[in-house]
Amino acid sequence: MRYSNSRFGLGAATVATLLAFGSAHASAQANVGVEGTFFIRGGTVVVGTGERLEGASVLIQDGRIAAIGSSLSAPAGATVIDATGQFVYAGMIDSYTPMGLAEIGRVSTMQMSGELGQFNPHLRAIVAINTGSVMLAITRSNGVTSAITAPTGGIISGQAALINTDGWTWEDMAVNPNAGYVVNYPSAQGGGRRGGGFAGFGGGGDDREARAREQLEELKQEIRRAKSYHMAREGGLEDQDLVYESMRPLVSRQVPAIMRVNSQEDIEGAVALGDEFDIDIVIAGGREAWKVRDMLAEKNIPVVLSSIRSTPGAGLPYDAVYAQPGVLVAAGVKIAFSTGGASNARHVPYHAALATAYGLSPEDAWKALTIWPAEIWHVDDEIGTIEEGKLANLFVADGDPLDIRTNVNEVFIKGRRVPMDDRATRLYEKHNARPKHNR
Amino acid sequence: MRTSCMKSAGMVGGLLLTLIAPRGVDAQDLAITNATILTVTNGTIENGTLLVRDGKIAEIGTNVSIPNGVQVIDGTGMFLMPGIIDAHSHAALEGGINEGSESVTPEVKVQVRNDDQTIFRALAGGVTAAHLLHGSANTIGGQSAVIKMRWGKSAEELMFEEAARIVKFALGENVTRASSTAPDSLRRFPKSRMGVEHTLRWWFTEAQGYRDTWTAYERDGGFEPRRDLRLEALVDIMEGRIRVHAHSYRADEILMLMRVAEEFDFRINTFQHVLEGYKVADELAAHGAHASTFADSWAYKVEAFDAIPYNMAIMADRGVVVSVNSDSGERIRRLYQDAAIGMKYGGMSETEALKMITLNPAIQLGVEDYVGSLEVGKDADLAIFNGHPFAPGSRVEKTIVDGIIYFDRDQADTLEKLLRQHITTEDQG
Repeated sequence: MRYSNSRFGLGAATVATLLAFGSAHASAQANVGVEGTFFIRGGTVVVGTGERLEGASVLIQDGRIAAIGSSLSAPAGATVIDATGQFVYAGMIDSYTPMGLAEIGRVSTMQMSGELGQFNPHLRAIVAINTGSVMLAITRSNGVTSAITAPTGGIISGQAALINTDGWTWEDMAVNPNAGYVVNYPSAQGGGRRGGGFAGFGGGGDDREARAREQLEELKQEIRRAKSYHMAREGGLEDQDLVYESMRPLVSRQVPAIMRVNSQEDIEGAVALGDEFDIDIVIAGGREAWKVRDMLAEKNIPVVLSSIRSTPGAGLPYDAVYAQPGVLVAAGVKIAFSTGGASNARHVPYHAALATAYGLSPEDAWKALTIWPAEIWHVDDEIGTIEEGKLANLFVADGDPLDIRTNVNEVFIKGRRVPMDDRATRLYEKHNARPKHNR
Repeated sequence: MRTSCMKSAGMVGGLLLTLIAPRGVDAQDLAITNATILTVTNGTIENGTLLVRDGKIAEIGTNVSIPNGVQVIDGTGMFLMPGIIDAHSHAALEGGINEGSESVTPEVKVQVRNDDQTIFRALAGGVTAAHLLHGSANTIGGQSAVIKMRWGKSAEELMFEEAARIVKFALGENVTRASSTAPDSLRRFPKSRMGVEHTLRWWFTEAQGYRDTWTAYERDGGFEPRRDLRLEALVDIMEGRIRVHAHSYRADEILMLMRVAEEFDFRINTFQHVLEGYKVADELAAHGAHASTFADSWAYKVEAFDAIPYNMAIMADRGVVVSVNSDSGERIRRLYQDAAIGMKYGGMSETEALKMITLNPAIQLGVEDYVGSLEVGKDADLAIFNGHPFAPGSRVEKTIVDGIIYFDRDQADTLEKLLRQHITTEDQG
C-alpha cells in the first residue's frame, strides 16, 4: 500500500520539522495559516450558486477573493498554486457544534460549554473559544472552514458564535460573534434524545408537562421583559441591565433565537413563540420538521438538522432521517447540516452525502453546507460562495467533497493558506514511519 | 395541522406492524443480471450475472445462462457486493449486555431476541450478519453470538451456525469503571490497568490448575473433580476452543493482553475498537491478532484521544486483518461509508477497504468459508446498491440472505411513501 494523499507532498517542510521533533511534537497544535497573495490557477471553480467555471483562476489578496476568471494572470509576488484537474470550492460550514468549548468527552474540565442557571442570554460562546483546540485543524483539513459553536444548558444557554476554524485569537476567528441565542424550548417530551429539547428534570408525564408549561411561562416572561426594556432604552432609559441589554438584538430581530426542538408539538410551540413576540427563529434539531414543512416554508423558518448520523424514532420508516433533508428542501424549507460534535465536524459533507442517497439533490446538498447556513447566520455577504469581495474561505480538492474518497489538498481561511497537518496526520506520520518489525 | 398530525400518527402505527411482522419468505433460486459485481476476492466484473441456487452462489460471470423458472433481478446500473458483516454490535440482545456483578464471567452467554428493529434497519444498510457481544464492564464478559439477519425468523433461526465460539474480554476505562465517582470502598476490583493484568493472570493460573486436576483425574482416576463452569470456559479459551475478542483502546493494554495470552499459550483472535492499534501494528501481526475498529470515532473519552482514521490503513499495511465495525444501531446502517474512510485516510485500495466490511470480519468470526466474498459455493448473502457503495448518493436497494430477499426498498416503508399516503388520506378526508 502506498500513501497517496498529496497533502503531505505539499507540506514537505512541515513534515520534515515533525520528524525532527518526533513524538514530543505529536500533541502540539497545528500552525495558523500563512498570509499572502495567492493565485489558484486553472481549476474548476465551483462558485456555489450553480455556476461552474472551468479552467478558471482565483486571486486571493488581503484575506479576500480579489478576482475570479479564466483570463487572469498572477500578479508579481503572488504564490501560485496549480489547481489544474482539481476543483475549487467554498469552505463548508457545520451549523451546530461545541467547537473550542469542549474537547475530550467525559473529562469535566474539558467540557465547559454550559453555565449554571436557566436564563443566560448574556453569555457569549465566542469569548471562551480555545484557539488551541486540536479539533480546529482536524476540521479544516477536510475543507470545513467555519462552524457554529454553541453553549449548552438551561433554558437560554447563551449566544452561539459562527467562527472560522483557523485564527490567532477568538476575535480573529469570529465571523459572527452573536449568530443566535440558544433556546432549549421547554419540552413536555422531556428530551431524552440527544440534541433534543429540554432535559434534566425528573418526574412522570404529568409532572413533566406541568414543569414544561411553567418554564415556558418563565421564558415568555423573560422575553416580555426584554421587549419592555428594549422599548424603554429606545425611549431614552439610561440605566443598563446586562441581561436584558444582551437580548436587544433578539427582540429587535437582528439576531434569531436558535430553538432546539424536535417533536412536531415543540416545533409548533417554538414557532408560535416566535410569532407571539415577533422574534426570528431558527429550528435546531427538527427531527419531525417534515410533519410541518409547509408551515416552516411559508413562514420562512430555516432548519438546522441535528446529526443525520442517527436512527429514526420507533415505527418510522427506516430512511426517515436520511430522507428528511430532501423532503424539507422540496417543500421550500431552507436547511443546514450539523454534526453536533467537534470531533467529526470534519465529516459533515458525508452527512449531506447520506441525504443525497435518499432524495436531496447534490446541488442542494452543497448549498446546505455553504450558502444556506451563511444566509441563516447572516454572513452570506462574507462567506458561503466563491465570489469577489468575500472572505477567502475556500479549498482545493481532487473531486466531489461529498465523496469520501476525495482528497482536500489546499485550504484557505480568511485568505491564509492553512498548513495541511493536524494532530491526526502527525500521529500518522510518526507511527507510519516506524521501521517494520517482521518478527 | 392537528388533524393531519393525528392521521399520520395512525399511519405510523400501521407501519410499525408491517415492520415487526414481515412477509413469509422462502429460499428460492434467483439471478442478478447486468450488474457491476464487486467480488472482493476476484476483482470487479462489469455487466456480470450472479446465479443463486438453493441459497448458495452457483455461478458468477459475464456468460451465465439462467435456467427457466429462476427469478431475475435486473441489475442494470446496480452494484452487487457481498453482504456486509458487522463484527461488533449490541443489537438484538435481551435484558442488558453486561453481567456486571463480577469482573470475570466467561461462562455466561448473550441472549438473542428476534424482534429488534435494528435487524431490519441493518439489512437496509446492506448488512447480512453481525457479531453480538456483551458490553465492556467486565475483564472477561461472556460468550457472544453471531447471527444472520434473517428478519422475521425465530431467535434460534437467526444463529449463524458455522460461526466460531467467541468470548468478550475488555480492557481500559470501562472495565476499571474509570468514570465512577463511587468511593474506593464501594469499587470493584480492578480499578486500574495494572489490576486488569493481574485479574487475567490470576484467573488463567486458576484455570491451569483446574485443567491439571482434570488431566490427572482422566489419567489416574480417583474422585471426579468438581465441575466449575467458569474455569471450564477459561480452559476452553486456553485450548483455543473459544476465540477471544478483546475490547481495547490504548497500545499499552493491547500489548499487555497479547503478552498475558502468550504466557498462557493462547492467542487473542481479534482486538475490538483497538483505536491505538496503529502504535503496535507489528506486534499485532506477529501475535496473529486481527483488529476490528471504528473509522472516525474519537475523543469521546481520554483513551480515545489518540484515535486517528489512519488506524485502519497502518494496521492493514503491516499485515493485520482489519475490519470496521458499528458498535451502534446507527453506524450499522452505513458501514459502507465507514469502510470508504480507509481509502481517504492512508490510501487503502478499494478492495482492501471493501474487505473491511466483508471478508475480514468473516475471518474474525470464523465464517470466511461461507460468506465475505462472492465466490461459487458460498452463501448467497448479497447487497445490491444503486451505485458504487463508496460513492455519495448510493443506497442499498436489496439485501439478500441465503438467497432470500429480506430487504427490498421497493417493498419497504419509506418516508416518501408515508408522505404520499398522507396526501392521499388528506384528499379523501
